[in-house]
Amino acid sequence: MSEPEIHIFNHHAMATQFQVRIARAEKTYAAQTAQAAFALADELEAQLSRFRANSEISQIARLLPGEKLRLCEPVLACLTIARRMEFATRGAFSATAAALKNQPAKPSWVLVPAEFSIRCDSGRLEFDLGAIGKGFALDRMAELLREWECRSFLLVAGGSSILAGEAPAGTAGWDCGLGDDSSARRHWLANVSLSGSGLAVKGAHIFDPRTGQSARRQNRVWALASTAAESDALSTAAMVLDEIEITGVTGKNPDWLVLLNEDKEWRQLGGRAVPPTAG
Amino acid sequence: MVNQPVSRREFLGTTAAAGAGLMLATGAKVFGQPATANGRINVALVGFGAQGRVLLESLLKIDGIRLVAICDIWEYARTYGERYLKKLGVEVRAYENYEALLAGEKDLQAVIVACPDFWHAPVTNACLKAGLHVYCEKMMSNTIEDARSMVQTMRETGRLLQIGHQRRSNPRYVFALNRLIREAKLCGRLTAAQAQWNRAVTEDFGWPKKSAMPPAQLAQYGYTDMHQFRNWRWFKNLGGGPLSDLGAHQIDIFNWWFGTTPRAVLASGGIDYYQNHEWYDNAMVIYEYPLPDGVARAFYQVQTTTSAGGGYFEYFMGDEGSIRMSENPALSAIYCEARAPSWDDLVQKNYLRAKTGGPTPTPEATKVDVRETAQLAEYEMSVSFNKALHQPHLENFFNAIRGSAKLNCPADEAFASEYVIHKANAAIAAQKTIFITTQETQA
Repeated sequence: MSEPEIHIFNHHAMATQFQVRIARAEKTYAAQTAQAAFALADELEAQLSRFRANSEISQIARLLPGEKLRLCEPVLACLTIARRMEFATRGAFSATAAALKNQPAKPSWVLVPAEFSIRCDSGRLEFDLGAIGKGFALDRMAELLREWECRSFLLVAGGSSILAGEAPAGTAGWDCGLGDDSSARRHWLANVSLSGSGLAVKGAHIFDPRTGQSARRQNRVWALASTAAESDALSTAAMVLDEIEITGVTGKNPDWLVLLNEDKEWRQLGGRAVPPTAG
Repeated sequence: MVNQPVSRREFLGTTAAAGAGLMLATGAKVFGQPATANGRINVALVGFGAQGRVLLESLLKIDGIRLVAICDIWEYARTYGERYLKKLGVEVRAYENYEALLAGEKDLQAVIVACPDFWHAPVTNACLKAGLHVYCEKMMSNTIEDARSMVQTMRETGRLLQIGHQRRSNPRYVFALNRLIREAKLCGRLTAAQAQWNRAVTEDFGWPKKSAMPPAQLAQYGYTDMHQFRNWRWFKNLGGGPLSDLGAHQIDIFNWWFGTTPRAVLASGGIDYYQNHEWYDNAMVIYEYPLPDGVARAFYQVQTTTSAGGGYFEYFMGDEGSIRMSENPALSAIYCEARAPSWDDLVQKNYLRAKTGGPTPTPEATKVDVRETAQLAEYEMSVSFNKALHQPHLENFFNAIRGSAKLNCPADEAFASEYVIHKANAAIAAQKTIFITTQETQA
């Protein structure tokens, strides 16, 4: 059986490389669809990046306690998910965790849905959406691809988050490995998101928002969920949670699965079924 | 040079008076006379494409402004717009074209025009004649004649017509011009400028197959097919090409900061890469500006088949210092020549911040102190603003409607930039220097 034709496109955004792979589509149409998706990622970066002086995230960082800022829809949506994931992970994920490097305590904030705004309650709202923003962008890009009727796709953000659409023709899914190139542990993924977190590439960059200490886990973790924003946040949280805590978190949502590799032994925590083995 | 230190309040006051708008503000405020009985300004947005959406996000943050209608010939864009706005609690009426908009809306005060360039003049002129104030995106038009007609209609109707050169309301740009270049003469004698906006190769814009407009509808609005509709910027009867799309912003800065229009333009460009386009994909332009102290030359390049690395900026160079400006503060920089007078007073006045090095005391001529190697001082502007990039320019427009401000980029001033940009395209076509008189650049 011949390999399915897959069109691959690359783009720089959010300080990393985004990749769109599209199957079951004519090449030019796939290229234009990918470009529209990349343009969307750029638009999101313009609002979500803390490195853009006039992004909404930068504007939020300058709010004084008591002040509010009206938000655009994507930022409001992303922060809504961030807040939900903070609760779901019992504070192990926090979009303001990095603020602890500059402030004695985590800043406090509330979303005011009726006004489509955020209010700063205390501290400086130094959001770092690195652990959820890329996943959020993948989710929005996937919506766009489906709207353009490209349903068989794989979206990659920086190698740490992927969002798989429908499987390429004649396959059980997209062949995804956990770990470095040509990883031995591989799964067929379709209509699911997979994110990985670890310290091998960027060193000790993950803080436990509950304590301000560096992540306890030294090995990589992976998280599966239906959306990339969730899998991104979940894998980050899993870096600072112990196994009992992870079991508690994933037990509340049957859509989630966390995979750990401790002492060469794989552990699967959560109710979501493990995807079929590939490779 | 400046002598008196300014307090924070005076600092804000002087820049605001110079047209900077609100400095360092954390919330959007408009002030002055209400435009309607209830104090609100009802606004419609014509064109819900990429630029329309950028303007929308700023519009929604401005107090006292109510978006009541959107207009786009493409049902896909209209539906997207209605859906998006509904998520933000904004109910609007949607129209296919501006005629239907003007017939249907009886309580409008202003229109934001963000449709393709060749529709700017028909839409703007009709709205002005309907008694509405208009904020129209740049370029004013893809032809000089249509741009001129917009200025004439503005004068005939007495309505306001702001052109979307948003840097003219950017507090950082206003401050750099008014305080650093004009007041402090930080650059000394300006002798040259350079600006660029380069982009990487991209695919032409596509569209969801199921959302294509029927051929008859495309023809009704001046397009031969969906490809032309989605890629109108590349076609000569619809847009002005990259020099117009990207260069317009930056060439306008040349005119604004030099305070005059060029006397000559020579340029080279070509359709080097995209064989299905009509406009030049790469262009290099040199303008000659006659300044009181002598000629300054300004080089502009817009390449769309290269790496986009380096970003976009405008760089003004003088014999004592240089300022590289960009909407992105991270790409901005200020350089001091060794022969320049001390800038310590500018630092003390909070006009500049020393990034490295900092002010050094002027030693007595017969004394010297020896220690480790000192760093050369690097400077940055001490001004920032906490809003979306287009928001101050829109606020200036609405404040002008309320009578509390003067437009920062009225159509007659924008026309001068419009004219010299069109002449750069003409110089490429003619392959020779084109001379420009000041009178030509007046509408």
